[in-house]
Amino acid sequence: MLDDGKPLFQQIAEQLSNDILDGTYPEETAVPSTNELAQFLRINPATAGKGLNLLVDDGILYKKRGIGMFVATGARDRLVEARTRAFTHEFIAPMLREAAKLGITPGQLVHLIQEESA
Amino acid sequence: MTAVIETTSLSKHYPKGVRALDDVSIALEPNRIHALLGRNGAGKTTLMQLLTGQLVATSGDMRVLGDHPFENAQVLSQTCFIQESQKYPDGFRAQDVLAVARTLHPQWDEDLERQLIADFRLPTDRQIKKLSRGQLSAIGIVVGLASRAPVTFFDEPYLGLDAVARQLFYDHLLADFAEHPRTILLSTHLIDEVANLLEHVVVIDEGRVLIDADADELRGRAYDVSGRVDAVTAYVAGREVVAQQRMGGLANATVIGPIDAAARAELDAADLTTSPVSLQALVVHLTRTPELAAASR
Amino acid sequence: MFRTASVIRLHTQQRFNTFVLPFIILAIAFAVVLAIGVIANLSVDDPSQLDGMHEGMRWNGAVWSVLGPLMGFGFTAMLQIFPLSLGLGITRREFAAGTLAVFGIIAALFTTAITVLKSIEQATDGFGLRIRMFDVVYVGMGDWWQTAVQTFLLLLMAMFLGAAVSTVYLRWGQRGLWISLTSLALVPFLVVSIAFVVPGMMEQVFIAVGSVPWIGWMGIVALIGALAAGAWVLLIRRAPVR
Repeated sequence: MLDDGKPLFQQIAEQLSNDILDGTYPEETAVPSTNELAQFLRINPATAGKGLNLLVDDGILYKKRGIGMFVATGARDRLVEARTRAFTHEFIAPMLREAAKLGITPGQLVHLIQEESA
Repeated sequence: MTAVIETTSLSKHYPKGVRALDDVSIALEPNRIHALLGRNGAGKTTLMQLLTGQLVATSGDMRVLGDHPFENAQVLSQTCFIQESQKYPDGFRAQDVLAVARTLHPQWDEDLERQLIADFRLPTDRQIKKLSRGQLSAIGIVVGLASRAPVTFFDEPYLGLDAVARQLFYDHLLADFAEHPRTILLSTHLIDEVANLLEHVVVIDEGRVLIDADADELRGRAYDVSGRVDAVTAYVAGREVVAQQRMGGLANATVIGPIDAAARAELDAADLTTSPVSLQALVVHLTRTPELAAASR
Repeated sequence: MFRTASVIRLHTQQRFNTFVLPFIILAIAFAVVLAIGVIANLSVDDPSQLDGMHEGMRWNGAVWSVLGPLMGFGFTAMLQIFPLSLGLGITRREFAAGTLAVFGIIAALFTTAITVLKSIEQATDGFGLRIRMFDVVYVGMGDWWQTAVQTFLLLLMAMFLGAAVSTVYLRWGQRGLWISLTSLALVPFLVVSIAFVVPGMMEQVFIAVGSVPWIGWMGIVALIGALAAGAWVLLIRRAPVR
């Protein structure tokens, strides 16, 4: 599940975000601790901690002292919003560029998408 | 953070010009898992033997837990050195070794010791010379982990251990490290197996430090590029390349350096695909071309 | 301090080998000597006919069955216990201190045993068989305390020699070992060779050796032991592990 491409801690943060998006960790519930995560993924605890802290910095998780880390209220919405932005940047923009090369207009593109998802 | 292990121009030379260790200066931060990598005979064991007072350095200085380790009981009682080549007296059983090791490490944990013995299925009452190579390694692993020494050296700790037992070692190491953070220096050939456990990597080659970097940073230090031969050739021109292969009209190259925005644009324009390089592949490439390791710093 | 105790423990961890086995070997040798004594006594009509045997057995070497293996203790200490000690993080100083203590303990233990047995042997006129095993030249022929002193010094010397020679090997390898052993053997070898060649010298040597008083011999043993101990302590400070 972990590949060598991006820094490991980023991959951890992404994986956790995915789990929050798909409801594995609903808002205001605890996420695995640094050590649980480290042992489960067989990675260094410091790396796991860095991954968790990335999400704390983004306001997705918050710390309850002495208890652990919890999914913040509104975390899911914020993730959806951030991911939508990323989606636009990573997929839609290149798609439009490629479409332009092929002479596909945005209108035709919408049509293609509708056909594909039908 | 102050370093828990620090060497300054540390050298160990032997007669006839053999430089087992040459001008090694490293600083290892406390409570992290560090890897010491390199080919056989690169000087990994020599470095560990110097740091644990087994050998006397030719020149240079070192500090372990703030003090010189040689003949220093205070430092040595806080360190544990598990070496692949450890010899045991004739007739000794694992329990004889453990009984004494227990008295030498103030932080020794007997529950963990029992757990490890059970998990590794170590026959403690059989003579050590009748044990398999893997069981011999298991003795070292039990001592190394149960000692909970603030500085623990593992020199190729798992010779002869099968994949299951090695995984057991990693799991125990991580679990216990998480509960009781301490400084671990691990030398190994199985880089890919431990890549995710590491925070910091030191690679030595022919006695000299080749790479001294955080694992995360190292991961971004090189990447593979593949695509049409002319495109790859054009892209790698002027860049540091450690390996190149071609197959028919396609080529593949391992390039040093991060993929910055300019590189990304160039890659996209040339229709080249990139993929990450594993830590093991990176170490292999860099030990083959030491001058590039220096350049990539 | 407790770390030095750990060194003692390493040396004596195999209690059977250290404390029981030498006594078993001794018992077997003793049984053989006893058997010879019984046969000798059965074959004569008058115990006075055994005077010659009683005299000759001054040179009975059966006691070496226990002295010999104890000398090996010095080798084992350096070649087997030392590498593990360093591996476990014991300093050379701690190892030397613990080893010194163990040598002392072992020497004292076997000195006591041999002294007691010698006293019994003397008191019972050779266990009632006019044999000798402990009242022999090697461990002291005089009073019990002489045996005690001689055995103790001899054992210590042997263990220190063993330790010193092994440390030479650890430090300089096979070549160092052979050079040191050869040069050590060269002195008596040269004396004997010259004694053979020079007319009348053999007798001189014998007289000289024979005229050394007991206390002189003790001095020689103590000196050799002290030299070996000194060499050992000096060499161990930088001896690598093989």
